[in-house]
Order: sequence, then C-alpha cells, then structure tokens
Amino acid sequence: MKKSYIILMLSSFFLWSCDNFDDEININPNLPNQASGTQLIASAQLSLSGLSASPKGAFMAQYLAETQYVGQSLYPQESTSFYGWYQGPLMDLETVITSDDLNANEGPVANQVAVAKILKAYYFWNITDRWGDVPYSEALQGSEDFTPAYDTQEFIYNDLFEELKEATGMMVPGNIDGDIIYGGDMEKWEKLGNTIRLLMALRLSEVAPEKASEEFNLAWNAGVMSSNGDNFVFEHLNDANNQNYWYNQVVDQNREWWAITENLVEEMQPVNDPRLPVYANPARATGEFVGMPYGIEEIEGAETEDYSLLGSEIFAQDASIHLVTYAQVLFAVAEAAERSWISEDPEENYNMAVENSILQWTGTSEGAAAFLSNPEISFNSDTALEQIAEQRWVHLYMFGYEAWSEWRRTGYPNDLVTPNGVEIPARLNYPDNEAFNNRENYNQAVERQFGGEESIYGKVWWDE
Amino acid sequence: MRNKTSLIFFFLIVFQISNVFAQEKTVTGTVLVARDGMPLPGVNVLIQDSNRGTITDMDGNYSIAVESGDVLVFSSVGFQTVERTVGDQNVIDVRLEMNLQNLDEVVVTALGISREKKSLGYATQEVEGENLNLTNEQNVLGSLSGRIAGVQVTGASGASMGGTQKIKIRGVNSISGGDQPLIVVDGTPISNANFSESAGADFGNLGQDVNPNDIESVNVLKGPAASALYGIRGQYGVIMITTKSGQKGMKDINVQLNSSFTIERAANFMPLQNMYGGGSSQEFSTLPNGDPYVAMGVDESWGPRMDGTPVRHAWSFYPQDPGYGELAPFSPQPDNIEDYYETGYNLNNGVTVSGGNENTAYRLSINDTRIEGVEPNTYLNRNNVGLDASLDLTDNLTVSSNINYATNDAQRPSQGSESGAGYLVQWFQRNIDMNRLRNYQYDDGTFQHWNLRSPSSETGEITNFDPLYWNNPFFEAYENTSNDRRDRFFGNIGLTYNVLPSLELRAFVRSDMYTQNIESRSAFGGTGLPGFSIGKYQNREMNYEFLAVYDRTFGDISVNATLGGNIFDRRYSYLYQSTVGGLSTPGYYNIEASIDRPEVTNYLLRKQIRSGFGMLSLGYRDTYFVDASIRNDNSSTLPEDNNSYWYPSISGSFVFSELVDWDLLSFGKLRASYAQAGSDLSPYQTTMAFGVGTVYDGTNTLTVPNNLNNPDIEPSFAHSYEAGFDLRFFNSRLGLDFTYYEQKNENQIISLDVSGASGYSSSIINAGLIENKGFELSVNAVPVQTDNFSWESVFNINRNESMVVELHPDIDVYTYGSTTYSSVTSYLNSYEGKPFGSLVGQAYQRDEATGQILLGADNMPLYTDATHDFGSVLPDFNGGFQNTFRFGNFSLAAMIDFQGGGQFFSRSKMLAVRTGQDPVTVATNSNGMNVRDPLEEGGGVEVSGISAETGEPVTAFVDARSYYRNVVGRRIYEEWLFDASYVKLREVRLGYNFGQNLMERLPFEAVNVALIARNPVMIWQEAPEGIDPSEISTGSQSISWYESGQLRSVRSIGVNLNITF
Repeated sequence: MKKSYIILMLSSFFLWSCDNFDDEININPNLPNQASGTQLIASAQLSLSGLSASPKGAFMAQYLAETQYVGQSLYPQESTSFYGWYQGPLMDLETVITSDDLNANEGPVANQVAVAKILKAYYFWNITDRWGDVPYSEALQGSEDFTPAYDTQEFIYNDLFEELKEATGMMVPGNIDGDIIYGGDMEKWEKLGNTIRLLMALRLSEVAPEKASEEFNLAWNAGVMSSNGDNFVFEHLNDANNQNYWYNQVVDQNREWWAITENLVEEMQPVNDPRLPVYANPARATGEFVGMPYGIEEIEGAETEDYSLLGSEIFAQDASIHLVTYAQVLFAVAEAAERSWISEDPEENYNMAVENSILQWTGTSEGAAAFLSNPEISFNSDTALEQIAEQRWVHLYMFGYEAWSEWRRTGYPNDLVTPNGVEIPARLNYPDNEAFNNRENYNQAVERQFGGEESIYGKVWWDE
Repeated sequence: MRNKTSLIFFFLIVFQISNVFAQEKTVTGTVLVARDGMPLPGVNVLIQDSNRGTITDMDGNYSIAVESGDVLVFSSVGFQTVERTVGDQNVIDVRLEMNLQNLDEVVVTALGISREKKSLGYATQEVEGENLNLTNEQNVLGSLSGRIAGVQVTGASGASMGGTQKIKIRGVNSISGGDQPLIVVDGTPISNANFSESAGADFGNLGQDVNPNDIESVNVLKGPAASALYGIRGQYGVIMITTKSGQKGMKDINVQLNSSFTIERAANFMPLQNMYGGGSSQEFSTLPNGDPYVAMGVDESWGPRMDGTPVRHAWSFYPQDPGYGELAPFSPQPDNIEDYYETGYNLNNGVTVSGGNENTAYRLSINDTRIEGVEPNTYLNRNNVGLDASLDLTDNLTVSSNINYATNDAQRPSQGSESGAGYLVQWFQRNIDMNRLRNYQYDDGTFQHWNLRSPSSETGEITNFDPLYWNNPFFEAYENTSNDRRDRFFGNIGLTYNVLPSLELRAFVRSDMYTQNIESRSAFGGTGLPGFSIGKYQNREMNYEFLAVYDRTFGDISVNATLGGNIFDRRYSYLYQSTVGGLSTPGYYNIEASIDRPEVTNYLLRKQIRSGFGMLSLGYRDTYFVDASIRNDNSSTLPEDNNSYWYPSISGSFVFSELVDWDLLSFGKLRASYAQAGSDLSPYQTTMAFGVGTVYDGTNTLTVPNNLNNPDIEPSFAHSYEAGFDLRFFNSRLGLDFTYYEQKNENQIISLDVSGASGYSSSIINAGLIENKGFELSVNAVPVQTDNFSWESVFNINRNESMVVELHPDIDVYTYGSTTYSSVTSYLNSYEGKPFGSLVGQAYQRDEATGQILLGADNMPLYTDATHDFGSVLPDFNGGFQNTFRFGNFSLAAMIDFQGGGQFFSRSKMLAVRTGQDPVTVATNSNGMNVRDPLEEGGGVEVSGISAETGEPVTAFVDARSYYRNVVGRRIYEEWLFDASYVKLREVRLGYNFGQNLMERLPFEAVNVALIARNPVMIWQEAPEGIDPSEISTGSQSISWYESGQLRSVRSIGVNLNITF
C-alpha cells in the first residue's frame, strides 16, 4: 500500500514535468507585438535631425571650429559607423515597405508605402554620399542575410532614381496619419520625392553629366518644391524628449566647444549678411562677430568669450533642422541653367535662392535686396558657378555633411583650411565592426574602390 | 542517530558507576579544539585496553576514575586521536587537532545529498566557513578567491562596500561570458543578480546576502558532472553553501558573540607629477588688472609651472568666499587626491544562539554590519537574521525550516571615469587644494566648484558659476547621491519522511525573494540637468522539489539511488522611472518634479523550468564506485517544439589504496567522469516585439528592435570530460588532488553581432563551439605538527585555456563588448580559431621588416584602425596559498592569491597621461630638458621610428602635449594595455585564545581575540602602481577587460572578538 502510494507520487511528479506551458508565458508582455505603418514611419522620421545635427559634419564643411579638446576637427583617420541608420530608420521603413497588412484606416496603404520609400531613398542618398559603396540591395534582410554585400554608388544612385519615381507614381489621393513632418500632406511628399531626385541628379554633374541632366529634367518636370513652405524640415520641440542636439550640448552640458569659423565670418561679415546674427552670437568680450581660425590646436590665451559661438536660434531647444529646402532647389536650377541643362534664367534663380535662404533663416526677406546689391554677391555670369556654390555653402549652414558633399563636387568654397597640413577628407571610413561582422564584403568593397587600403581620402564614385 | 548516542551515553554512565569501587583517583580536565580553543563536547575519553570511558560535556569537561599508568585515549570524529598517560597529575587538559583529511569525509553534493567523498567520480572542493571568513570580507563571495582550485574571482575595491565579486569556475564557458555559477544555500538556489552597470554605483552581486558567520562550509562543484542534478542553472558549476545549524540533544543553550572592528584607508594612489598645474598653455592668462589666474575652464594639467607664482584661484572669484579677490601661490598639491578620502570603518556584531533537545534543533543568528566608506558620505548598513530549525514530528517524519532575512541599506560611491570622484586621476589640476573644496557649499547656499568659465576680460569677474564639465568632488559626494536598499528573504521549508530505514522521501518548498530599490539624484547647481531616478525591482524565485533517496548496502555492494523532480518558477518585475528635462523644484526629488514627460518602464518576466531526474550510484567493496544520472528539463523560454531535452552523466572512481598496502599512502583514488548539461535562454527571445520610441507631440512611435529574436532556437549542450586523482600520504599530512578537464560548449545560444546593414545589430542564434581545457591542483600539507606548534598549508593552482573553435557559418568574430572614448573604440572580441576574449583596438603602425613604429610627416606615431588583435584577456593561471600557524594559544593565518597572465586596458592611466597628470609628461629627455620645454630649446618627447613616407629611420623630438594628448594618450591603445599578473596578500589574522584558567574566572566558555587585516598589501603586480589588477571588475560585466575610473583600493586593519557563553 505504502509503496504504491510512493510510486503514485513519483509518477505524478514526472507527469508535471511536461512541456506544456501557459501559451502566454514566453510572449513579451512588456512590448507591443504589432506596430502600424505610420508608427514606424514616425519613428523613422525622428532620426532625420541626426542626419544634420553633428559636429563632425560641421567640421567637414568648416562651419564650426573647436575651442577646447581640439581633436576631431583635425580630421583624424577614424571609423564612423553607419549601423545606426540601417538598424534605426531604414529597418523601420523597410518593414513598412515589405508589410502586407498595413492599416488603411491610417491613410491609403499606397501612400504609406510611398512615404516610406521616399524617406528610405533620402537616408540611403545621405549614406552613400558619406561612405561611398555601401550595402544596399542585400541590406535590411534580417536573418535572410547577416552579411550583405556592398553595392556600387553608381548602382545605388540609379536605383534610388527609380525608387523615387515609383514612390511618387504610386501616390493616391488621401492623407496619412502620424506624419510629423508634413502632417500627412501627400502633395508635399510628392514634391519632396522629385526634389531629392533633382538634387541627386545635380550631384552627378561631374561623373555622368548626361545622366545628371536627364534625371534633373525629369525631376524638374515632375514638380519640385515651390516655396519655403514645402521645405523638408524637422522641428524640435520644447521638450527634452524631442529636443535639439545642440541644445543638449550647449545648454544642458554647458559646452562652449564650438565657435563659428573665421572662414564663415569672413564670407558673411564684409557683406553684412543678414543671416550672420542668426548663425552666430557676437563674441561676449567685444560684442563683435569674431570667427575662430579652423583646426588650430592651441591658441595662446584664447578664451571662448573672444569668439562668436553658435547662434541662440541654432541651439534653441525647439530649433528647426533644415534638410531639403526650396533655396537648394533654386541654387540647383541656377546651376543647371548655367550648365545649360535647362532653359531657366540663372541669375533670377540665384537671386531667388538667396532671397529664400534669407527668408528661411531670418523669417523675413527684407534684407535680401540690399544684400544682393553687394558687388561680391550680385550675380556675375563669369563666376556664376563659384558664386552659386559659395552662397549654397552659406545657405546650407549647419547641415555640414550636405555642404561637404557639394564642396567635394564643386570644389567651392576653395579657401577652406587644411589643419596642420591635413587635407579635408573625401569620405568617411567604414565602421570597424564591418571588418569583424561582414569581413568578406567589406574587403571586397575596399578593394574595388580604393585598391585594398581604406582611407578617408578615397574618393566616392561621383567625386571626380 | 539520536537514539544511538543516548544509548552510548547510558552505557558509559553505567560503566562509570560500576567502576566507582575500583578507582584510585579521579582525573578531570577540559578538551579544547586546538585551533580556536573552543571547548569540545562529546569527546570519547577511554582508558586504553579497557572498556571504561566517558565523554566530555557541553563545556568540554570530563571526569574519569583512573589508576596511575593508565593511558587515556581522547577521540572524536573529525579530530586526531590523542593519548595521554596518567601520572601524578589530577588534571589533564587536552587540545585536539582537527583531522585535516578525514578519509571518510562526507560532502554535500547536488540537491543536498550527502555522499562519502571517496565515492565521487568528479572534483569537488570544500572550504570551511572559519577559513573563509578570516577577516569579515564585505562580500563573502570574494573570500573564495584563491581558496579553491579552478575558481577565479575578480573583485571590486573595498570602497564600493560589497561591490561586485565575479566568479568564474574553470574559465569562460560561454561565448557571451554570462557563465556565473549557481549559488545554493542549504539546498535553496539563490539569485546572484547584479544591478550595477559598468559605471556608477557598484551595488554588488546579490549572493552576498548570506551571513558569513552562518557559513559552516562552502563546497564548490566544478563541472557539469557535479551539477547535472541542478540542470541548466548548474551548468557553470555550483557553489554550495551549508550553514550552521543547531544539534539535537545539545540541551544547553549555546550563545556566541562575534564582533569585529576595522578601520579602512584608501590606498594605491597613482603617482602623479608635481611640476605643472592646470591649463593648456604654460603662460597664465591675466585679468584686466594684470593678475594672473588659473585656467579654470581646463580640466587638464598642461598649464604653467607650479613655481609658487601668486595667482587668482577659482575660489577667489566667488564674492561669498572669504578669500575673494586674493592671490595665492600656484603650487603643487601632491596629496590633493589622497586628501579627498576619509578613514572609513567597518563594525560588525553578531550573536548566535543554538540549541536543541530530544526532537528539536535550532539556531538563531543575528548580525549587524555598519560600514562607513573611505569615500566621503558613503555607507552600508546590513542586517542578517537567520533561523534554522528542525522538529521530529514522529520517529520517521521530520519537518525542517531554514529562513534567512537580509537587509542592505547603502549610499555608495560612483565608479567609472565620468562619475563620482573617479575623474580626479583623469581630468584634474595638480594645483588644486582639495581642502579648499571640502566646504563645497557657501553659507548662502551656493556651491563652490573649480571647473568654471574664465572671468570676463572686461570686468575680471565671473558671472556664470555653473560648473563646466566636473563638479566639486564633495558636491558629487554629498549632493549627487545614489541610494540602494534591499530586503530579502530566502529559505525553505521541508518534510523528510523515512519510509523505510533505507528509503527517505523529501519534499521541499524553496524560495528566494527580494525587493531592490535604487534611487539616484543629480542636484541643482552641478553639471548637467538636475534629475532623479527611482527603480523598484522585485524577484521571486520558487523551487518545488521532491526527492526519493534510497541508500542501502547489500554485502559488498552499496546502492544509492535518487529520483526526483523540481519545478522552478520565477517572477521578476520592475518599475523604473526617471525625470526628463530637469526638476521643477530644487531639492524635490520625485518623479512628480519632472519638467517633461518622465521616462517610465514597467517590466514583467516569467519563467518556468520543470525537471525530472534520476541518479544511481553503486559501490563495490568501498573500492569501486560508479554513478550515472539522467535529467529532463522543460523550459518555458524555448520554442514549444524544442523545449524538452534530456542529458546524462556518468562517473566512476577507484579507491586503489584499498588494494595496495603501502604505508606511506594513506589514501589513493582515481576518478573519471563524463557529463552533459543543457541550457536554455532568457525569456521573450523567440518572438518578435517592437520597441517603443519617443512620443512626439502626441504621436506614438514604434520601432523595429535592434536585436533579432529567433523562433527556431534550440537548447545548447555542454559536454565535459574530467579525470583526476586524490592522493594522501604520511597519515594524510600531505594531500594532492589533481584534475584534468575538457569541456565542449556546443551550439551556444548567443546574441551574435551581425552587420548592422542587415537591419539588426545582433541576432539570437545557436552557434559556436567553445572548448575549455585545464587542470586544477590542490595541495594540502601539515609540515609541522606538535602539541604546541603546527603549520598547515593549502596551495591551489589552476590553468585554463578557452578556445573558440567554431562560431557561425558567415561570421567568425563575436564581439563581447566595446568601449568608446573620444571617438576611439576598443573591443573584446572572440575570433574563430583563437583563444577566447581578444582585446582589440588601435595599435602602432609598424614597419614590416624591422617592427619599428612608423612615423608620419609630423614625426608623430601612426596608428592602425581599431581592429588590431592584442590577444586574450584571460589569465594563464591563478590560485592561492593559505598558511595557518599555531603556537600555543596564538594562531596566525595568511591568505595569498595570485594570477599569472591576462591583460586589461586602463583608461585611467591613458587619461592621466593625456591630461598631463602622469609623471611621464614631465620627464627629462635626452637633452636634459623637460619634455614640456619648447622644441627649439631642446624640449619635447624623443620619438624614434621609421618614416612612413621615406622608409628612413627617424629620431626626432615632438611637442609633448600634442604627442601625449592627441596621439598616444588618445588613440594608441597599445600603450595602455597592462599585464594582469599579481600576487596579493589578501587576508591576515593573528588570533589568541584565552586560556582555560582565565575562563574559569569569567562567565565565558571561550574567548578569542584577533588582529585582522584585509587586503594589507599587494605583494607584486606587473601593472603600474595605482591600478589594482585584482579589482578590475567593471560593474556587472561578466568579463573584466578594461579599467576605467576604478575605485581606490582599500586596506583594512582591525580587531575581532569572539566570545562563547
């Protein structure tokens, strides 16, 4: 009797130890298992300001000089990671694009996909301009491909043109929800898609002028931005969760590490550029705009109060980050006209570009006419390309990476500094981790582009 | 057992009475334990060649009728037998030596099953509580360092007050490094979680909630063979702690008091230069009136020479400072960092009460620990209460319970280069007088800092007193505090039922539950935004266990069989909240004060494992033993199709000394085993979940996570083989225990870093094969043993090699971790085909032919990208050496532990050089000039190498500041790697037992007083002074590979008093 009781106890114990658990036990109760298309798009949009707000970008275009801990502005050979772009916004967008159950209650499914495609193209454009060949067609496949191959920049450009055309082509009437950039306005997205194509096309002016001209015209005819109201802008909020990068640096962390460069002040001050008081604050010591020489390790006795630091509006908590702007379109059209790609008046477009830039930065175009009347500024067809490029550089203030791309393409401004004789880089080095995690493809890309030795002086495809 | 004892007792009394008439005289005396002078009850005192005898009472006293010339034999289990011939004396006191190597030693193995040690086919090693707890270590797990062969402990500084002590058994067995052993207290697995991060307060691992004074012994089961019965969680070894308990039949209540008091001093300061002060240029800036002032905005020491020039210091700019406007000499403050630290103390008081009667036994212990840290305004208060009781309900049924309560309440210093006082070595000025900063708050409530903006060149005043990058360290200590508090219960309640004399059934409910609170504050008036965060973490782990143990001997054959089952159920949750955007009111530390939407996370984790297992061990003639076990685990965290798995083990031992007759050899055993252990993963890694992003003006954002979960994951298995021998010679005065092992960890479940271009940073996969090979050797010796003097010695050493044999079909590097500073990253990687754990970072570029450093056009060294492999961080060997000397009533014990090989990266050293604080930055060069002198005057650092451009050898002088600050001290990690070898005197105890004569006049039974010293000296280390390679545990990181703002070492010395009533 006793023994059978024991056996019963034992066997019941073994019966317990079976493999059926509560169905829910291994489902994460702490995170959502589903995400809607517009929630993912909004998440991808949150990363937009990071494309611009970066000291490194500002050093590449020599907008800012380091006042203390001078190091990064001396252009060290160092790797810069692109992983964050793929893991963050691009993967969110890819998930929307490949999803088969988007919710039409949040706006037409086609429009959700179109917006995701435009944003994806914009991110990839930025990435390839910085690094050159990057994983593209095999990227964002998750477990399907943990070691994506690198596509050539040429392939990426060509494919992005098509992707953007497809995106604008698939749009249907009806706004989408949760769009923190354009409030769901599809007309603006369409213009943005075409504008990105237009600016991308211009980038090919040296390496493939014919293709550049062709794509430029296609984009131009499809309808690009027509006012500052169409600008692609990320607006920060007066909220620490959504605040400007520079606010955190300058205000929260009390860092006076960045002064406006001497180059920029010399470009703007003599011609009374109305944008200068926005770009920079006067030096505390003198009340004057004083630029700091770029890339000097040691300035004997220099104090931050002697120089113009970042403008208060630039580091405001709710500052706007301008990514793609109407003035850029006008500069591009002026340049294309100058190159005879299209039959527009270069001068008129140049003037409008400057005027819209001033309007964008100062809130008024009042000072524009006076500014344009400066002999150095007023349009001169002999030096048009240089003038356009110089003014574009002034306009692109704080979006250093974009200005740096234009510097690489045009060579203007041609008076940027080489600190300690170190040249301005021609690209960013790939992340170190790629040599660990994706070695074969990484080696192949380095071999193909730079003959085996990676360098910040290797040139990307369009940089002739 | 109880009945047997009473029976013996009874007979002895009868004998005693029956012999009353034959006596000539009565001898009395006391039997004491030689080691500590404690009275020893229950010792058999027999007259040789007679059947007469007695036993000692609770106080160790005996009385026996003898005739002169009789020989008294004193014997007790666990002690060496002593014979004394009766002469004229009427009092014979005896001290019994512990039997070091008890051949019939019984050890507690997995699931609390007691086994004769000789029958085990695998390695275990035991330390007695008294040896472990020589000096009241703050975190008792740290005491294991060096005491057990095969166990590596990487500790934290005593300044952390119970900071992390990381334990690895037999090297790294998991690619992810998360291979901490399971800690089991009296059969109850307890959590050894760690809430620390790599910087900030080091809260320590939770295993330290065991009261050190309760520990009877610690037994370490090293491989999966020993722990197959713990399943998954025992895969990386088990640390089994057995606590003291009361004894049935003790009758008397035994009360013990244990007090110790130690004072603690910070030590091992990094040598720094005392020639140049704060600033970036050797010229002073001046105020409008011409007065020079200290470059307060520069947190480096590349400034002017400290020659006593009268200057305006930071404090002189505060109008509320008594020294406002005054000039004071610009002179070195050689001890400014030392001056920050205080003398701490550690006061420990414990009381235990134990007793028992016919059918009960109990032990109650209470312990109170108060520590004031060496960093200002830091403390730890800890209380432990333990109750262990058993009650025989009937002859066959016993109910027992063991309940422990622990509470910790602490305010700890921050570690790391960016917080607390850790920055002082790294970003500071050699001219700052720490005593000037001590009163960090002025009477008007404002704060005094040293790192300020420069004064206005117009007015010569400072208008903005917000500190730039660093707070006054005293502000950090008193205003930016971090508090943690934990309440914890663990223990069990169980029934034991003896169905038959040879069959026992046991059912236990075991539980470990704690609530951990962590709060931290950032005050107004310091750097950054004021803020507050609070987290409440709750864990409940239940184990429901059933065991049937059958133990019987049939002639020459002994059988021990166990069948059992276990349900493990864990529920863990937390609520963490932190303010965003600052606080609305100074001093109001509450989430309510958050300016913007606060960060809030609530989290729930559930996990179950259901297991069944069986074990059979057979012995033949006490000579041949074989064990086999099998276990089945079902884990809720694995995918449903793959969540059940079986794994076996088999082991055998052969006690060959039973067969050979060689007097020198007291014992000899060969053993071998093979075992598997299966493993699962953390919950929620098999299904997709999205990340929750920032809310933008009412718009919710969700994001695809960076780590890709895997619905097809399978359990992973470890296969281990081991063989060894256990030899004892010269009546067990010399023992050798040797084990060789191999372990293959296959198909590991890891989060593998993948190319981020795939859209994910990492993915949960089954991958890899890590092979560990190594040996462990333990030598026990008693070189000298006389009545008045003895010397006992234990030496442990082990060597382990971890090799990554396979990783993944597409990826052959596993990145365990990385650390980035000033845009320069270093990694801890594991490469397929190489030893585990390579330190990877930027090295010098070298000429291929000569190996010389390549120099650039500016003669500065060129460096590689961050992919240079510097080799494994793991040590070649480690071990320990403990010696105990006894001389009369004195005893001296000293514990040394050591490590050979291994390496780490020191950010503290790198930054000390970068910021011009290290003496190398003021060295004299071959021109006889200071390296900081201008190049044109013969100054500068001499560099030689090969010009990368021309290929020609170059020797040149370069500017010291550019060289150290922007090149070597910032980018070339090769310079900052140090060998981790060391030999450390960890503990010393000099004790004295007051003699029995004195005790008779006092109301005590025994009194022991000891001088104790913890961490008194680092005997030798390869790494430079100021960095302690034995204390580089970086928070909860499971592998220590870099040091960054390490807390200062702490040396403690004090007294310990132990009284038995």
